[in-house]
Amino acid sequence: MGKTMLEVDHLKTKYITRFGENIFAVDGISLKIEEGKSLGIAGESGCGKSTLALSLMGYYFAPLHYQSGTIKVDGVNITAMKPDEIRKKVLGNEIAYIPQAAMNALNPTQKIISFIEDVVRAHDSGIARKDIYDLARQRFEVLGLPESVLNKHAVELSGGMRQRTVIAISTILSPKVLIADEPSSALDVTSQKMVIKMLRSLMEKGFIKSMIFITHELPLLYNVTDEIMVMYAGQIVEHGTAREMVFDPLHPYSRGLMGSILVPEEGVRGAKLTAIPGTPPNLKKPPKGCRFADRCRYAKPACMLHQIAESHLENGRMFRCYLEEKELREVCKDE
Amino acid sequence: MKNQIRQIFHSPKFTLGFTIFALLLLLTIFYPLIVTDDPLEMVGQGNFFKPGTYISVKEAVDTDPYTLNLHTSTSRLEKNLSMDERMAMADWLQQFAGLSPKEVDVTDADGLVSLWKEHYDSASEQKGLIAARKKYFSRLDKKIQGLLENSDVLVAEKNEETGEVSVKKTIPSTSYVNVSEVGSKRVFILGTDNFGRDVLTELVAAIKTSLKIGFIAGLIATTIGLSLGLIAGYLGGFIDDLILFITNLFTVIPSFILLILISYSIGKNARGVMMVAVIIGLTSWTWTTRSVRSQVISLRNRDHVNLSKLSGHSLVRIILTDILPYIASYVVMALILQISSGILAEAQLSMIGLGPATTTVSTLGLMMNWAMSYSAHLNGDWWAYFPVILSIALISFSLNLMNTGLDQIFNPQLRE
Amino acid sequence: MTGYKKYYTNKIIWYLITLVIAVVLNFVLPRLMPGDPVSAIAARAVDGMTDSTAIQAVYEDYAEKFGVNLPMSTQFLIFLKNAVRGDFGVSFSQYPRTVSDIISSSVWWTVCLQLPAILLGWILGNVLGAISAYKKGIFDKGILPAFLFMSNVPAFGMATILLYVFSLKLGLAPSSGGYGFDLIPAASLTFFRSVLAHYQLPFWSIVLITVGGQAIGMRSMSIYELNADYVKYSRFMGIKDRKIVGYVFRNAMLPQITGLAMSIGTMIGGALVAEIIFSYPGLGTTLLAAVKGRDYPLISACTLIITVMVLLANLFVELIYGVIDPRIKAAQQD
Repeated sequence: MGKTMLEVDHLKTKYITRFGENIFAVDGISLKIEEGKSLGIAGESGCGKSTLALSLMGYYFAPLHYQSGTIKVDGVNITAMKPDEIRKKVLGNEIAYIPQAAMNALNPTQKIISFIEDVVRAHDSGIARKDIYDLARQRFEVLGLPESVLNKHAVELSGGMRQRTVIAISTILSPKVLIADEPSSALDVTSQKMVIKMLRSLMEKGFIKSMIFITHELPLLYNVTDEIMVMYAGQIVEHGTAREMVFDPLHPYSRGLMGSILVPEEGVRGAKLTAIPGTPPNLKKPPKGCRFADRCRYAKPACMLHQIAESHLENGRMFRCYLEEKELREVCKDE
Repeated sequence: MKNQIRQIFHSPKFTLGFTIFALLLLLTIFYPLIVTDDPLEMVGQGNFFKPGTYISVKEAVDTDPYTLNLHTSTSRLEKNLSMDERMAMADWLQQFAGLSPKEVDVTDADGLVSLWKEHYDSASEQKGLIAARKKYFSRLDKKIQGLLENSDVLVAEKNEETGEVSVKKTIPSTSYVNVSEVGSKRVFILGTDNFGRDVLTELVAAIKTSLKIGFIAGLIATTIGLSLGLIAGYLGGFIDDLILFITNLFTVIPSFILLILISYSIGKNARGVMMVAVIIGLTSWTWTTRSVRSQVISLRNRDHVNLSKLSGHSLVRIILTDILPYIASYVVMALILQISSGILAEAQLSMIGLGPATTTVSTLGLMMNWAMSYSAHLNGDWWAYFPVILSIALISFSLNLMNTGLDQIFNPQLRE
Repeated sequence: MTGYKKYYTNKIIWYLITLVIAVVLNFVLPRLMPGDPVSAIAARAVDGMTDSTAIQAVYEDYAEKFGVNLPMSTQFLIFLKNAVRGDFGVSFSQYPRTVSDIISSSVWWTVCLQLPAILLGWILGNVLGAISAYKKGIFDKGILPAFLFMSNVPAFGMATILLYVFSLKLGLAPSSGGYGFDLIPAASLTFFRSVLAHYQLPFWSIVLITVGGQAIGMRSMSIYELNADYVKYSRFMGIKDRKIVGYVFRNAMLPQITGLAMSIGTMIGGALVAEIIFSYPGLGTTLLAAVKGRDYPLISACTLIITVMVLLANLFVELIYGVIDPRIKAAQQD
C-alpha cells in the first residue's frame, strides 16, 4: 500500500446565490487516493463534478463557499489553513489543476515563459529566472513540446498545443495531486489520445504522484484511471475499480451512464444506446429520498422516502442504492 | 414588441434618461404655450441683467405706500458694504484706533459701522498710509454716511408751462409698497443676456432648435451609415473593401475639421439652421457604418438569411425582413448617440463662429457664443451661460443613459 | 519579425494615403462650393474693408495664390508645393505676419496642453474604470457616475465652469491667456511659473471631461476580462490576486488603446473649443480669430495642421498598439 496522497472526508461545499439560497453542489463526499494511483470521476454535466474539482483545492471564492469536512494532502489538513497559506503552499505545487476548456486558460497576451515564471515565483520568489527557464525547457522536452513555445504568446499557438502547454504548466512544480477537469473533451480524437498519453507519461515519470480525472464520459476512464467514482447530484453513487465500473456497473445511474455513450471499443458494454430520461434534481431543494429516484426505472415508493445510505462490499466497492447487490444484479438481467 | 418595450422600461438607466429627455422635450412644447413672448425680443436695454423680479420704479412710486417700522439702514449696510470694504475698515480700526481683532467683527455690518463712526476721523494722521489709501478711506466714510442717511426722498414734478419744479410727493425711508400692487413687473428667472433678452425664454427656444438640429443631423447620419453599412456588410467583396476604406478614412480625419471647412466654404448666407444640421449629418456617419457593417456580417450567413436566399427572395426583401429587424436596436442606439453628438457639434461650431448664421432663432451654441463674445464668463454673469451648459449636458447625459440602458438589454453579456 | 514589419508598413502606407486625401479635401472643399470660390472668399475677406487699395491687394493676392486661371490640377500642385515648404501665405487678419509664423507660435501651446491632458484623462479614466470593476462600492456607485455625468458636459462648458469657480470666485488661477499679459516669453522662472498657472484650468477642464468616457469603457472591459478563463486558472495555480489583476487590466486596456485612437480626433476638436474660453494662445483661439477675421489662408492652414496632428497621434497609437498586443503579430502571421 502506497502513501495516501489525498484524503477527503465528508466534504461539503455550497454556492450562495444572489438571493441568499444555498446550493450544496458537493454534498458530503469522501475519497482517498494513494501514491501512484489515479481516480476517475464521472457524471452528467451539472452533477457537481466540476465543483468537486474546485472544492478539492481548498481555495474558495464567491459564490462557492466551504461548509464542512476535511481535505488532507499527504497527511496535512489544508482545510485548517488560511487562504493565502493554501495559495502559497498548496495550489500549484501540492495540488495542481487543469481546467475545463484548457485551451482558453492562458492569458492571451502573456508569453508562456513569463507565466511559468509567475507560477514558480508565486511559491518561491527566490528562484532565478534562468533556473526557471531551464526547468521549463527540460520539462517541455520530456513532454515532447517544442522549446520555441516558451517564447510565444498563447494566441500564437494552436488549440491542441495550448492544451498540452497548459498541462505542462500545471505540472511544472511536480504536484502530489493533479486534478484534471475534462482535459480531453472538446478535442478531436487524436488530440484526446495525445492528452491522455501525456497524462500517463506524467504519472510514469513521477512528475505527478496521483491524479483525479474528471469527465462526463465514463467509458473513457477505463484506460486512464485505476478507480472510478460516479457522481450524481452532489453525491457519490458508486465507487469501484475501473474494470468493475465499466464492465459491471451496479447502480442504475452508472449503468445508464455507460449506456448513454456510444463506445466503439470492443468488449465494452453500451452497444445499445439509451439515454437516461429526465434531468438531475434541483439542488436548492434536494429530494428527501434517493436523489436519482425520479429518473430510475427500478425505483420503488420507498426510494422516495428514505435517505439512502452507502453500501460497502467486501472488495472495497461502494454503491448508494435502496436495493441490495443481489437485487440489483437481478434487475440487470432484464436489460 | 410590447414585451421588449416593457423590458426596456425596466432598465433604471434607460428610464432615468428617458424621463430627463422627456421633461426637456415637454418643456420646449409647453413653455411657449404659457409664455408667448418672442424668445428673441430684446426686453432689456443693456447687457446681462441679473436674475430676479423687476418692478417699474415709476409705478412703485405711484403705488400707495405702507409705513413699516423696520430699520432699513441695517439691511442697506449689509447689502451695500462689500467684504473688501469691511476688511479695509477693520484694518483701519485695528491700526489707527488701537482696537483688538476681537472687538472688530466684519460679519456684523451694524456694529462695524458704529465702531467706525466712533473712531474714524479723516483729519487724523494715519501714519504710514499713502495718500491714495487715505482718500479711499475718506470716500468709504462718505459712502457710509450716505447709507446711513434717513432723510426723505422728494419726488418733484415739472410744470409744463412755467418749467418750475414743485414737490409732488415725499417718500420717507420707512415707506414700503406691496409688490403685488405694482402693475408693471417682469420676472427674469435666469436674467437677461447680452442683448437684453430673457434668458429662460430664449433657452427653451434654443433647446428646441438644438434638438431639431440634433435630430435632423442624426437622421441623416444614420440613414447614410445604415445604407453604407448594409451594402458593405451584405455584399462584401470589393464594395465592402471600398466602403470600409472610406469609413476608416473619415474616422481618422476629424469630422470637426470637415465641419469647419464646409461651414466656412458655403458662406454665411447659406448657413441656416437646416444647413448646419445637414452638414453635421454628412460628416458623422462613420460610427453607424462601422457598427451596422459588423452586425450585418455576423448576420449574413445565419440560417434564416440563407433560407431566404435559397427561396429566391430579392435583395431588398432579404434586407428588409431578414436583416433590418435584427439590427434595429443597434440602429436606434446609433441614432440616439448621433443626436447627442449632433447637438454638441452645433455648439462647438457656433463657438468658433461658424454656427447657424441667423438672427431669427437661437440655438444652444449661439447662446453660448453670444455670452462668450460679450465676456459673460469673465464678468461672472453665470446666468447667461451656465443654464446653456447644463442643458447641453443634460440632453447628452439623458441620451447616453438611454443608450447604455438599451445596450444592456440587447447585449446581455454586458450585464454583470 | 516579418509580422511586425508587414503591420508597420501597412499602417504607414495607409496613413500616408489618408494624409493625401485629407490634403485634397482641404484643397477641394472650399472650391466645390457654387460660384467663383476665389471671389467669394475674397469678398468675405474684404467685407468691411474701406481702403480700396487694400481690397485690390487682397483680390490680387487671392488670384495669385489660387492661380484662378490655371486648371485645378495645376492649382493643386502649387498648393501642395507651398504646403510642403510650409508656405501658407500671408494672414489677412494679422497682416503682415505669415500664416506659418502664426501657426508655429500657436501649435506648441495646443500640443503641450492637449497631449498631456488627454493622456492623463485617459490614464485616470482607465484606473477609475478598473477600480470600479474590481472593488465596486463607492467607486462604482459614486465616483464613476459623477465622472460619467461630467463627461457629458462639453469641453468648453467644463472650461467655463472651472473658470467661474476657480478664477472668478476663488481667485486661485488666472482667467485667460497662456501667460501673464505683462510678461514677454522668455526662459525665466517668472515666465515659467506664469505659464504653469495659466495652464491649470484649461488642462483640468480637458482631463475632467475625458475621464468618464474612458472609465466606463475600461469598466466593462475589465468585468469581461475578470470572468475570463485565465483568471480562474491563474488563481488555482497559486498566483497572487494582485498579479492576476495586473493581467486583467493589461488585457482590458488593449481595446482602450484602439479606442483612444478612434476618438482622439473628437477629443481634440472639443479641446480646441475649450481653448477659446481661456483665450489660450493655441490653435483653437487662432482658429476663432481666423474665422472672425475672415482669414481664409489661416483657417486652411489651421485645419490642415490639426488634421496632421490627429493623423500623427493616431498612427503613433496604432504603432504602439502593434508592439504591446501580441495578437496583432499573430494575426499577421496567418
